[in-house]
Amino acid sequence: MTYQPQADFGTPASRSDEQVTLTIDGREVTVPAGTSVMRAASEQGTSIPKLCATDSLASFGSCRLCLVEIEGRRGTPASCTTPVEPGMVVKTQTPHLAKLRKGVMELYISDHPLDCLTCAANGDCELQDQAGAVGLRDVRYAADATHLGQTKDHSNPYFDFDPSKCIVCSRCVRACDEVQGTLALTVQGRGFGSKISAGLSSDNFLGSECVSCGACVQACPTATLVEKKVVEIGTPERSVVTTCAYCGVGCTFRAEMRGEQLVRMVPWKDGKANRGHSCVKGRFAWGYAQHQDRILKPMIRASIDQPWREVEWDEAFAYAASELKRISAKYGKHALGGITSSRCTNEETFLVQKLVRAGFGNNNVDTCARVCHSPTGYGLKTTFGTSAGTQDFDSVEDSDVILVIGANPTDGHPVFASRMKKRLRQGAKLIVIDPRRTDLVRSPHIEAQHHLALRPGTNVAVLTAIAHTIVTEGLVDEAFVRERCDWDEYREWADFVSQARNSPEMLEPVTQVPAAELRAAARLYATGGNGAIYYGLGVTEHSQGSSTVMAIANLAMATGNIGRRGVGVNPLRGQNNVQGACDMGSFPHELSGYRHISDGETRRLFEGEWGVPLDPEPGLRIPNMLDAATDGVFKALYVQGEDILQSDPNTKHVAAGLAAMECVIVHDLFLNETANYAHIFLPGSTFLEKNGTFTNAERRIQPVRKVMTPLNGLEDWEVTQELARAMGLDWNYAHPSEIMDEIARLTPSFKGVSFDRLDQEGSLQWPVNDAAPDGSPIMHIDGFVRGKGKFVVTDYVPTDEKTGPRFPLLLTTGRILSQYNVGAQTRRTDNVLWHEEDLLEIHPVDAEDRGIKDGDWVKLASRAGETTLRATVTERVAPGVVYTTFHHPLTQANVVTTDYSDWATNCPEYKVTAVQISPSNGPTDWQEDYEAQARRSRRIAEAEAAE
Amino acid sequence: MSSTLDNLVRMANQIAANLQHEPDPAAATAEHIHLFWDPRMKRMIFDHDGTGLSPDAAKAIAALKASA
Amino acid sequence: MKVRISDDALALACGADAVATAFADAGAEVERVSSWGMHWLEPLVEINGIGFGPVTAADVAEILNGGADALCIGPIAAHPFIARQQRLTFARAGKTRPLSLDDYYATGGWQGLAKAREIGPSATIDAVLASGLRGRGGAGFPAGIKWRTVAGASANQKYIVCNADEGDSGTFADRMVMEGDPFMLIEGMAIAGHAVGATKGYVYIRSEYPHAIAKMEAAVKACAHLIAPFDVEVRVGAGAYVCGEETSLLNSLEGKRGEVRAKPPLPALEGLFGKPTVVNNVLTLATVPWVMANGAEAYAAYGMGRSRGTMPIQIAGNVKHGGLFETAFGITLGELVTDIGGGTDSGRPVRAVQVGGPLGAYHPPSQFDTPFDYEAFTGIDGLIGHGGLVVFDDQVDMARQARFAMEFCAAESCGKCTPCRLGSTRGTETLDRVLAGENVDANLALIEDLCDTMKFGSLCALGGFTPYPVMSAITHFREDFVVRTKA
Repeated sequence: MTYQPQADFGTPASRSDEQVTLTIDGREVTVPAGTSVMRAASEQGTSIPKLCATDSLASFGSCRLCLVEIEGRRGTPASCTTPVEPGMVVKTQTPHLAKLRKGVMELYISDHPLDCLTCAANGDCELQDQAGAVGLRDVRYAADATHLGQTKDHSNPYFDFDPSKCIVCSRCVRACDEVQGTLALTVQGRGFGSKISAGLSSDNFLGSECVSCGACVQACPTATLVEKKVVEIGTPERSVVTTCAYCGVGCTFRAEMRGEQLVRMVPWKDGKANRGHSCVKGRFAWGYAQHQDRILKPMIRASIDQPWREVEWDEAFAYAASELKRISAKYGKHALGGITSSRCTNEETFLVQKLVRAGFGNNNVDTCARVCHSPTGYGLKTTFGTSAGTQDFDSVEDSDVILVIGANPTDGHPVFASRMKKRLRQGAKLIVIDPRRTDLVRSPHIEAQHHLALRPGTNVAVLTAIAHTIVTEGLVDEAFVRERCDWDEYREWADFVSQARNSPEMLEPVTQVPAAELRAAARLYATGGNGAIYYGLGVTEHSQGSSTVMAIANLAMATGNIGRRGVGVNPLRGQNNVQGACDMGSFPHELSGYRHISDGETRRLFEGEWGVPLDPEPGLRIPNMLDAATDGVFKALYVQGEDILQSDPNTKHVAAGLAAMECVIVHDLFLNETANYAHIFLPGSTFLEKNGTFTNAERRIQPVRKVMTPLNGLEDWEVTQELARAMGLDWNYAHPSEIMDEIARLTPSFKGVSFDRLDQEGSLQWPVNDAAPDGSPIMHIDGFVRGKGKFVVTDYVPTDEKTGPRFPLLLTTGRILSQYNVGAQTRRTDNVLWHEEDLLEIHPVDAEDRGIKDGDWVKLASRAGETTLRATVTERVAPGVVYTTFHHPLTQANVVTTDYSDWATNCPEYKVTAVQISPSNGPTDWQEDYEAQARRSRRIAEAEAAE
Repeated sequence: MSSTLDNLVRMANQIAANLQHEPDPAAATAEHIHLFWDPRMKRMIFDHDGTGLSPDAAKAIAALKASA
Repeated sequence: MKVRISDDALALACGADAVATAFADAGAEVERVSSWGMHWLEPLVEINGIGFGPVTAADVAEILNGGADALCIGPIAAHPFIARQQRLTFARAGKTRPLSLDDYYATGGWQGLAKAREIGPSATIDAVLASGLRGRGGAGFPAGIKWRTVAGASANQKYIVCNADEGDSGTFADRMVMEGDPFMLIEGMAIAGHAVGATKGYVYIRSEYPHAIAKMEAAVKACAHLIAPFDVEVRVGAGAYVCGEETSLLNSLEGKRGEVRAKPPLPALEGLFGKPTVVNNVLTLATVPWVMANGAEAYAAYGMGRSRGTMPIQIAGNVKHGGLFETAFGITLGELVTDIGGGTDSGRPVRAVQVGGPLGAYHPPSQFDTPFDYEAFTGIDGLIGHGGLVVFDDQVDMARQARFAMEFCAAESCGKCTPCRLGSTRGTETLDRVLAGENVDANLALIEDLCDTMKFGSLCALGGFTPYPVMSAITHFREDFVVRTKA
């Protein structure tokens, strides 16, 4: 497939239902009302010359190339800013228009470097294309004043800014405003002196508010903003559409290649999740695939004190299989287990749980969703019948009131946050429930109507108080509840929330949210139109995580905000395939499609396909695996693409558990923290090196397409297959599509899914079955999946994690835009420029009490452990609350988190830890010991011998 | 930190505390443990003498034990 | 003895304050009034209707003694400059104290608003339509149609925005209204607000008019209770000619860069903060009270063709009698320049007159029979604009004037559209070459092409009208371009 730039119709599509017919160049064309003449012509196949227009941005009308003649109208209006009218007669090419276009182009070229042949945009430059299109042959101006020879800005690690080539079309400024919503760019000065600036004239891109999303680079028609890789390598020659491997938004990109070299990732305009936008990670931070830290050969060792020994694949598989068999024989089959990756594909995850169930013979399989959204699975299954969100991302365009609780989308789900912010700028109202003043609360042109800065751990109390307001003030959508829910369960719930003890006033001492503010927020959600709730780990990672999810579902049902566009309950799933990992049956109590292992009919279906009997008892969750390991009965673990030592809570306990095992198999890209305790290392492949599918937070299954040969030699599914075969299982998958076919046979909600269909449709949102053959964007439209929606009484049960004199502050954790989770990928890219270390946010009052200044080293201690990091003094957190991120292993943030967890799912209570902060001289003993152990454990024998 | 048994006792109590709204909290607790705990965890709590268990949690364990 | 002296900025620049102080020191009762608009006579002193001017402090004693015949012009109202006018909008000029509510009320003030409130919004719009009042800022768009569009739009908020950015060189009518008769402008805005359903009005005044700003702020405060619930706020520009363009003005009011917006959408439907907005020039709004108080037919009775009513023409430049001349449309250019203006101040022959501001065409005396009428001027490739005319004598270098037009455009360009942003600079450079005698024919041909690009390609009238002065200079005064004998 040769390289084709993505189609550009000039101006955005209109959403109108009304159709308009007009004549362009003698041919009739019919388009929705509100379409521009330019787009109507483009859809008909006529490309009117343009430079400042692009279909991801509202029309601007500045380049003046797209002039047309319209019968009955004076002059030559710009076709990009002229909406179609019925019966309009347009000419896009006349001698006068041709002359005018040449005139405009002549002006452009009189102020542009004439170095096309060596320019990075040669062959991919719209200015070049348009100069050709308008037939410019001659520049008669002897230009005195020009913009040539200006200093380039190389500050951003991923793209360059060369002002000399700028044609001031303002597409970059408009992209930063309209698409990303950061408004970092502006035009400085006026007239001929107009200059694009990333903030103040003293700012460069890196020093400005730019978040490096790349929207401006993508929008720029010339080489003014260009990816450094394009400068280095040249223009791509082909492109392959694939899905990002970072977060649960699941942006689709065109991987633009030259041979097997990835030149750049460009957001795909037809991507239904991202609609042509991206963030710094997916767009630019893919260099980790070639990082020197990447392990490309299998390694084994008899004990973790020894250095690693590189081996060939056969030896690694044989050794792994023999160890697993030995342990199974000696300790029983329940001594083995596996952890699937929520970053690997659906097909790969399915194989890991199949290996555990069909190979190890037990249900000891779990996944990272344990520590993030397992409460979502439990809570939404209980109330609605589906362990997933109810909408697609497009739905936010129809929301009137957006309630964000326990989520920081501008950092964690940036591309979706941009879409949400666009809707907010159009006038939708925002309520934020978060202990911390996140960026969303107040940012350019956006201000939350209400920010309920609650005390960490009191989510259920706040939601109950909101419910109290809605019920006692008569704001319930009774018609909806009567029709769609169980009325008796509703009454029980309504009676419960109406109790005086559940009023905002009575709960204020607990929540620390002023009652009047809470009541106002409740009324807004209930009566402000389409109300949509978006939530994240600030909801789930609590001792009442599942209850909070159910409380959210209760509010949505009570106000009738389910079953159509613009409303719903939307968990912002974290990982690129955590939704998929859950769908694939990675939980110890469920087979794929969320069917309990005790369900005989389902078990028999699998037993028939797999040819082995399955264990009917629930297996161990990750924390229980570690408990069992320290008890001496759990001995072997196969971990694919997950770093439990860095990401799970109570690091000491995790370390103890791993240390107690006899065979830890780590299947990953890098020697992660868990590998410090591993005996077998199987090198993994990146998303660029395999075929498969990811499922994002919208339940959208999207293709992952291989663009380069795996550097480690095998795709991850092949590794699992070989391991299974080494254990005696007769697996013969030739291609991941066969795995998906098996999934479709075994899982009703995936019945209509296949690689062919995905190639045709681009993506499919499950359920894809006979009732919904083309997938399900919005769920629970006529009825809930479980039938009637279930109201569940959720009483506030305070967490056992209490502050006291020894640990008087509450620690909560979160993420930052440029780093992703444990930073395995992003720390191995240039993103480290933005977030070199995790910082502890502390309120000025608390800092002053302790003699701590901005930038000081501080000790962070809880009853679980202590660690040291640098402090930043800020009013984003309330007094009594501190906050940090967990992207750097050195920080050892999880040394201080405890093993308290959600009652229903054991999702760790990361968001509430009682801590004390004090000034510090340097790293703690734990950090030093940890570092030493890690260093010892990462030695590789050949590398040592070479020294 | 705490031992596995301590964890199991705490988890059982926590489940019971969060199911107090159910018509029969003990039965609901039993159902939850039945669905989500692996056999070894169940055996451990069955073998335990009940120290530290809340009344509903103890009742739930007893019921599960009886039907196991 | 009551002595009346103007505190209009032009009068002040001519020394009116010193004259006023001298009279006060001499024991006279000094009243500061608006200016009569007879600029060659400022500081003009009026005593019992008799005018003396231009007066200096040294003349005060003599005037008080009954002398100073050389300075005496007789009854001001009977002076030919005044007598020949039809002052409807400027009826009070020279006669009242600008900030005196009593003076305003006594001279018919607030009658227009009362009428509008009596007949209601719909009938008010009908009256404005019937009057034929067209936008006096320069576009000449029928005000009634604009008001009707805004009235018909549904929104939770609408605005009246008064464009007081008066950037054209040689114009001062807006300034004179704001300094001399501010309540009249406010009344006009209140009538507009009543007619279209707008509760809020803004007056956007160029920063270079500090006296007008101060007068308007004081006037707004003083009459707030009379126009309530309509509320007016004064806002100040920041030195950009382009912000006289309505969409650029709206962007500036919103706190954004003063960049021009593409139309559609029209400000009447999506204007200030995205709401339906009436944007009208000072003169347009200031004329509305008269129309409402005296009737649309009375206003439409003046004028010719489709240019109904009167135009406050501003005569300036190298002219003997410069000032504010309000008259019905139809008077010829020649009458204005020669009879009323009195020809050049230098005494040399008139060579060119620029009508309509720095982006208006230059007209040679051969076009002096053109009547002051929107369509008539369009017919000779010119424009009335805001009604200013600047007179030049035969010492003017028209090639330099053409270059000035390009330079002006380059200095004031907002920078958004290519023809203006780049074309004005290239035009300046190319005309520099012509001025230097380099490749004149080729460069003039290039200028013609550039003017075509700018005229048809520009986003707004700044770039779009720059070809008027340039091409009219080349057309009517080509000799200045091809025979460079002037230094």
